[in-house]
Amino acid sequence: MTLAPQRSHGSGTGTAGTEEPTVLPSGAASRPDTRGAQPWVMAAAVAVAVAGAALGFNGVLRGWAWYSPVFSTVLSVAFSLAVLRSLRARPWLVTAGGLLTLIVAVTFIFFRQHSIAGFIPSPETMNYLGKFLRRASETVLAESTPVAPNAGIVMLICAVLGLLVILIDALAFPLALPATSGMGILAILVVPAMVKPQSVGVLGFVGAAVGYLLILGCSHWYTPDTRTLADTARNPGQLRRGAVTAVAALTLTLVLQLVIPGFDQGTFPQGSRLNPFGGATGLNPMISLGTSLRSPSGEGRITFATNAPTTPYLRSVTVDNFDGDSWSPDDRESSRQPGTGRIEAGHEAAPAEIRVLTAVNTGQYTSPYLPAPYAPEAVNGLSGRWSWDPATLSIKGVDTNSRDQQYVVSSVTPQLTAALLAGASGPVRGVPEQFLREPSNVPEVVRSTANTVTAGANSPYARAMAIQRYLRSTEFSYSLQSPVQGGYDGNGLSVLADFLIQKSGYCIHFASAMAVMARLEGIPSRIAVGYAPGRPTGATVAVSGQGPLPEFEVDARDAHAWPELYFQGIGWVAFEPTPSRGVVPAYATDASAPSGASTNDRNDALTPGDGSTQAPFPIPVPVPVPGAGTAAPGGAQAAQVLYGVAAVLLLALLVASPRLVRSGVRRRRLRTADRGYPGATGGTALPAWAELRDLATDYGMAPGASETPRHFSERLRASEAMAEPGVADGPGQRAAAALTEDFEREQYGRPGGAAGPARNAGSAGSAGSDDLVDSAAARVALVQASLRANAGFLVRLRAAWLPPSVMSGWRRSLQLPRGILSRTAQRTRRGFAGSWGKIRNSVRRVRRR
Amino acid sequence: MDYHRTSVDDILPQGQSLPGRASMDPNPAGQRPPRHELPAMDADAFHSASTRILTAINTVIDGKAEAAKLALTVLLAQGHLLLEDVPGVGKTLLAKTLGRTIDCSVSRIQFTPDLLPSDVTGVSIYNQATRTFEFRHGAVFANIVIGDEINRASAKTQSALLECMEEHQVTVDGTSYRLDEPFMVVATQNPIEMEGTYPLPEAQRDRFMARISMGYPDRESEMEMLETHQASSPLARVTAVVTAAEVAAMIATVQQVYVSRSIKEYTVAVGRATRESGYLRLGASPRSMLQLLRAAKATAALEGRDFVLPDDVVSVAEAVLAHRIILDRKAASAGETPQSVIRAIIAKIPVTPDVTASPNGTGRPARKASAMAAAPSPKLPNPR
Repeated sequence: MTLAPQRSHGSGTGTAGTEEPTVLPSGAASRPDTRGAQPWVMAAAVAVAVAGAALGFNGVLRGWAWYSPVFSTVLSVAFSLAVLRSLRARPWLVTAGGLLTLIVAVTFIFFRQHSIAGFIPSPETMNYLGKFLRRASETVLAESTPVAPNAGIVMLICAVLGLLVILIDALAFPLALPATSGMGILAILVVPAMVKPQSVGVLGFVGAAVGYLLILGCSHWYTPDTRTLADTARNPGQLRRGAVTAVAALTLTLVLQLVIPGFDQGTFPQGSRLNPFGGATGLNPMISLGTSLRSPSGEGRITFATNAPTTPYLRSVTVDNFDGDSWSPDDRESSRQPGTGRIEAGHEAAPAEIRVLTAVNTGQYTSPYLPAPYAPEAVNGLSGRWSWDPATLSIKGVDTNSRDQQYVVSSVTPQLTAALLAGASGPVRGVPEQFLREPSNVPEVVRSTANTVTAGANSPYARAMAIQRYLRSTEFSYSLQSPVQGGYDGNGLSVLADFLIQKSGYCIHFASAMAVMARLEGIPSRIAVGYAPGRPTGATVAVSGQGPLPEFEVDARDAHAWPELYFQGIGWVAFEPTPSRGVVPAYATDASAPSGASTNDRNDALTPGDGSTQAPFPIPVPVPVPGAGTAAPGGAQAAQVLYGVAAVLLLALLVASPRLVRSGVRRRRLRTADRGYPGATGGTALPAWAELRDLATDYGMAPGASETPRHFSERLRASEAMAEPGVADGPGQRAAAALTEDFEREQYGRPGGAAGPARNAGSAGSAGSDDLVDSAAARVALVQASLRANAGFLVRLRAAWLPPSVMSGWRRSLQLPRGILSRTAQRTRRGFAGSWGKIRNSVRRVRRR
Repeated sequence: MDYHRTSVDDILPQGQSLPGRASMDPNPAGQRPPRHELPAMDADAFHSASTRILTAINTVIDGKAEAAKLALTVLLAQGHLLLEDVPGVGKTLLAKTLGRTIDCSVSRIQFTPDLLPSDVTGVSIYNQATRTFEFRHGAVFANIVIGDEINRASAKTQSALLECMEEHQVTVDGTSYRLDEPFMVVATQNPIEMEGTYPLPEAQRDRFMARISMGYPDRESEMEMLETHQASSPLARVTAVVTAAEVAAMIATVQQVYVSRSIKEYTVAVGRATRESGYLRLGASPRSMLQLLRAAKATAALEGRDFVLPDDVVSVAEAVLAHRIILDRKAASAGETPQSVIRAIIAKIPVTPDVTASPNGTGRPARKASAMAAAPSPKLPNPR
């Protein structure tokens, strides 16, 4: 007999790590020493990171069509890097190869027709590349998001992302700075974060985060940092520490935004993007109007009740500077007047006016500007400080925004007629110059169109009517989609030119066309942005002094823009050049103007019919000073209360669930244990024993994994958790001893001999079994009572509501996916390494022949 | 024995079988002649006999109840005992007392460097009268053989004794002589660092079921010893309290103690852990697993149980395993002892099955066991 073989191999329980010689450092035992799969795994991680972060571009680019070329480029570059690296090429060769692959991939995808053999760049390719780059830069400079995914911008994104793959790979792999590679991913995320109104978006963020974590994880797996290695091979505390850090960071983020003043309010409510409970939906003038209109859901619902004879437009802001590539509202902060109690237009008013009272509830609508019917005289019931612009009468929050505002607007609507307007032919005086200034670089097509259309009209009103008639003619069609397809979605003079050629667009195009053409014809003009009249809800709202008023609602789908033109002696007059939207005012209708056909079915239904625009209350009642109405709709508040209650219930359920789980487990165990417990047949002591262990765990006396049942039981019985010091034979202790003995007999004793008597009195704890109740449930109850009686208040509380036995089980199950992942990764790695080795061997064999 | 194919069955005693085969005859005819014809004792008789022996020993040796119990455990488990300690702490006294309490033949061999193998086993001598060779029995022909200072004899003599221990027989001039049952060797030795000693090779140490260090008595015991043992040798008062037949019946009882599958798995886990530990150059042999289980059975019987608990295995593991393993150099230089390494290993083996974590599966704890055994103990220095 020899003692030479010291270890036994291969009876199956050894893992990969333990098969190494045990006299070697065992800390390194479970490290992988084969690196065959490393390039592949790392390249896959980088590809996931870049492709995932690129998901955030949805919204910068419209739709998803652009994603497939991007994905192909990223994949091919990552693949080439992996191939080169697994062939053990030098690092610079790997990077150069990646670049080459990127060039080939981009050429193949975008310049197939203009290159040699479809993938080798030629001088012709360079020409097209220049063209594409110009197109891309035009897109970046001129268009507002989301832009149509034209070939130029997509090619640019593909090229940049391909380069980033190479960069991130270089950082993470040869330079061994995996954490720094996050900068590359951040560079991708910055673009949507800055450009998109809704920031990066969940998809992009999750994709980038998953990819980054993969990169970190893979690098750590293959080149472990010795500083983070604790005394055990896989450092099991890491996940827990990570989770704690994440929870702390998240809590800090959520708490900080409550502490920082003005974080989620004010003019630019950046913070409200983080609001998880409700989407803040505003009407970003110009930029997102198209998005709002196309929104299928109708968010940003505003309800209002009015006594106006015709449902008014709600005007939020005006745009009067038409210079530049993109328009935005002009904020003349210096000339703004504080307070909304008394608003004065400051210019001549029409001879006849009616006063209108409107109670508005903005709900989730978030904007610095307040929607109000034109022309507001006073706004009451607002919270926060507001100011108004004498030139445009737009009302803007100083330190607040329009979210959750309930207010009553008293406004004056001039009684206009076509005859009155036609008479207003005097030269314009007293209007700020900015409303008259011609844009600096008006496209020729706009100017010529204006001249053609207004030829023959001699009064300002006639010219305005001519322009409106032209825009409402059958030549033009209303469409939300054609600007997108044509690449002129958005605003700006170049868009306007495109619109006049394509003759299809939506309100902003019609309104801006009319406004710009009016200025060219010498009529002061501006674009008003707000909401078309909307729909009656059928409800009525009581406004003080008014009785019940009919309620209307508008939402994002009613977002609208219309031109306002100034006539001397009358003031600003709204027109409606957009076919099939809004209501053409009576003064601006002429019998010959046909209504333009809409290409958008949905919006036909939204067009208010005659019924809704007819005033339900024909007699306008002048209201001197409206009080704060009771217009605050109870509905929203009730919903909030409901949400609150639901949240509290959910929280309570969450807190109670460990308790519920624990008591459920106990009930099930004791039911099993008591089935035939006193007899020897069929009963089982195991569930009662498990319950005893869990009870002890709950009260801070957790059994150790390597602790024998008897030792645990003795420790428990002797501990202060079970009895006062010195008491050795309490009922709880005897119950615990009996449970232990039953368990031992069943677990370790002779099968079928469970009922046999103990051999002698020396057997621990068996003496008490006579006078004890024979039911396991009763014994467990005795133990529990004893534990409860000796535990402090906090321990009792924890045992009842957050029992450690349940919580540790949850922690274990949280760690389970990690184990599965690592096992899968290991298997995949081996498979890859094996197959790759086979391939390499066969290639070598072929080469040798 | 092929160490590469160790399984639960390999290390089971012949009479023991897995629970699924519990109904099989524990001693299949033809495989091995039954050693003990005596029937097993009942629980009360066993308890009274063991109490008598232990009481008798404890009257002689003060404050060494644990050592006395372990010695009895080894006797009942049919093993051999190695008492190792510095001179003068009562090694020989314990051995002698154990022999004296049992009404059986006791012989004592004082091992010296010039002791010959034939002194141990016996020798054939030519009888002038009968003109034949006749075999004169050596000192090993007794129920309890006390080998005093065993490491002072030459390796050759040691080997002769060790062969008897393993085979329970003596072969001289081609004739085999069976030894009496029960047969137990109680050897004492000084620690190997002492002068004039031939250390027992690993292979021979492996044949002793357990090694006990006596240790110095505590203050009270030492005082009491001075009081009572001044005049006469305490050994003189000891009389036999059990007969050899009773001991044989006790041994039979121990053999019938039940070992459940989870205990076997636990034992195997302990053994594997010693072999996979990074601190040991030599782990525990499969034979030692067998002896560990036997000793655990004897412990269980002494505790009055007819089944083995994990506690029984744990309580004897140190005594059974510590003298068989060899420390790695680094562990030794870090001040570890075989005992401390065994304790650290035991402290990491989960007691299967964990009814809370996995009520039915034993796969998870077993996997955990090997993983934990491979991981270094927090107490120990990093073996890198």
